[in-house]
Amino acid sequence: MSSATLYSVSYDLVHAILAAIGSVLPYPGNVWITNPDLITGLAVLVFGAILLVATMLNTILLIWWERKLLGRFMDRRAAMHVGFAGLLQNFADGFKLFHKSTVKPREADTLGYLSGPTAYMVASLLIFGILPISSGWNSGALPLTLLLALAVFSFAPLFIFVSAWSSNNKYSLMGGMRSAAQMIAYEVPLLLAVVAVVIVAGSFDLTTIVYEQQNYWFWGPLFLALIVFVAAMLAEMERIPFDLPEAEAELVEGWNTEYGGMLFAFFMFTDYLRALIGSILVVLLFLGGWTMPSWVPAAATSFPLAGIVWLMVKTYIVFALFVWVRASLPRVRTDQLLRVGWNRMIPLALLSIFLAAVLVTVRCLPAFGCIPSLGT
Amino acid sequence: MAESPGAEKREESPILWVARPMATAARQFARSLWRPSTIVYPYERLEDPKFREKLEVKSGKPFGVGDIWDNYRGVHALNIETCISCNLCAFSCPDICIEMVTVAGGDPKHPKKCPEIDYGKCSFCGFCSDACPEGCLTMTTRYEITTPKRQEMVFSPERMYEIFRSKLPMNPIRLARPENEDQILLDPPLCIGCNACARDCPTQCITMLDIPKPEAKPGEKLPRRIWKEPVVNDSDCVRCGTCISVCPKECLFWGTRK
Repeated sequence: MSSATLYSVSYDLVHAILAAIGSVLPYPGNVWITNPDLITGLAVLVFGAILLVATMLNTILLIWWERKLLGRFMDRRAAMHVGFAGLLQNFADGFKLFHKSTVKPREADTLGYLSGPTAYMVASLLIFGILPISSGWNSGALPLTLLLALAVFSFAPLFIFVSAWSSNNKYSLMGGMRSAAQMIAYEVPLLLAVVAVVIVAGSFDLTTIVYEQQNYWFWGPLFLALIVFVAAMLAEMERIPFDLPEAEAELVEGWNTEYGGMLFAFFMFTDYLRALIGSILVVLLFLGGWTMPSWVPAAATSFPLAGIVWLMVKTYIVFALFVWVRASLPRVRTDQLLRVGWNRMIPLALLSIFLAAVLVTVRCLPAFGCIPSLGT
Repeated sequence: MAESPGAEKREESPILWVARPMATAARQFARSLWRPSTIVYPYERLEDPKFREKLEVKSGKPFGVGDIWDNYRGVHALNIETCISCNLCAFSCPDICIEMVTVAGGDPKHPKKCPEIDYGKCSFCGFCSDACPEGCLTMTTRYEITTPKRQEMVFSPERMYEIFRSKLPMNPIRLARPENEDQILLDPPLCIGCNACARDCPTQCITMLDIPKPEAKPGEKLPRRIWKEPVVNDSDCVRCGTCISVCPKECLFWGTRK
């Protein structure tokens, strides 16, 4: 595991480029251009650009992955013409949406209508600055990464509601209401399931949580919490068994009915961005993050960027589970959704917290081994 | 289970509500992982593309691997050599997708015109090949005309001549010449002997015969005209109606000679 983080890599890159430029420039220029503040600022920009590009490419790849899997679930081949195995199909679709004009309803509230999708996307992109993708990726090393990530993650209902209300459409408004109700109802079991992980790991830092799983991944002992977390995450991502906010059969397209072109692309993109974030969170909290168990040969885990590769492999497998659920289950009713959320999920989450407390007390499990020394 | 399936369903565990469809979907996924049911059509097909090259056609029976019937109404084949530019195909087309365009081979005063078909509009009704008096416009079994460009949906006469020369199986029903007992009749007092009908007749079956010029009585003016009248050779006439449409005085009409 290298000690270089993504930020330090981008800082070194910017420093090298500016020093090379400065060596050519005459006197006042070369001092000015190697100013440390300038290097820091540009390094942050480069860091953000790398994150943004990596995130967008991964999101587009995730959409491709879902399309291919869903095609096989429906006994057909999915996009296969544009690029190798249809890999560039989503780029083509994106360019098509770029070309379209933005049609704003006359009675819509301009500020809310235009800023809603943007804020929704930005709030979801923010999380990627926090998530540790591998040991060399975590930029800030904040002690409360998990809390911050989940807090930013729960911004979304607000922006959905803003854009739904300002669309001035009854279907949008109904979708926004449903979205807010659903997301708030499932925020509670989501956080309670996370509490079980935090109790066992003894830390709110995602990097620490991953390293606490070196003896065994948490999905075995905390299986109940995993189930609750995945179900709540499905509801948070508004994916198919819980996609009431955009139920096509009842509401036209839900809270993004009035959106088209680029703004619709923002919503679509962000939905998959949140699916990516949810899958990565499942991997980080329950599936050992970028680490692999000790029986995996060292050659498979020691090549450059091995951590990122393994985390992405796990993420795509977890997302395949979400696609499997989408391909299998029908949409639930609103009352069923909320009943399951409040009456089933929260007791199960509390039970999983109790099990986590028992696990911390016992410290060793016969089949899994011992949890390492707690962070405190 | 057999006597009351509904009652048993109500009793089953909610976990099965989730587990059973997921198991079904997983089975479906595993089955279609190697080879899905969909055929990637332009690249692979259920039929053997060679079958359309066969020439032995039994009327009214499917032939070949893909079971296209020989009276299928597909892309037209046009024999330019026997086309007489009678315009009947364009006249009978309900979709107005046939345009008569000039092809090589006519003299400059009377250019030879053959049908050009826009398959973007064509409904494949077959009226044009029904109406064709010479049997030069027929329909073949070719049905693949999809192109990425809209202009390529328009088939020029030369292109349909290529299809004719490739000897695809043709629709035998459409090859028969239709029965038509109607004849071109003349209303003699209206005729001015202008020769337009004889000039434009695609089969050259109209001849202009001299008629005697009557003596003008005192105080009466003879009509200004050429003292000729058209005579139609019914055995050569294909009943295209070109003479009726070009007649400036509307003195020709359809009818039956008693």
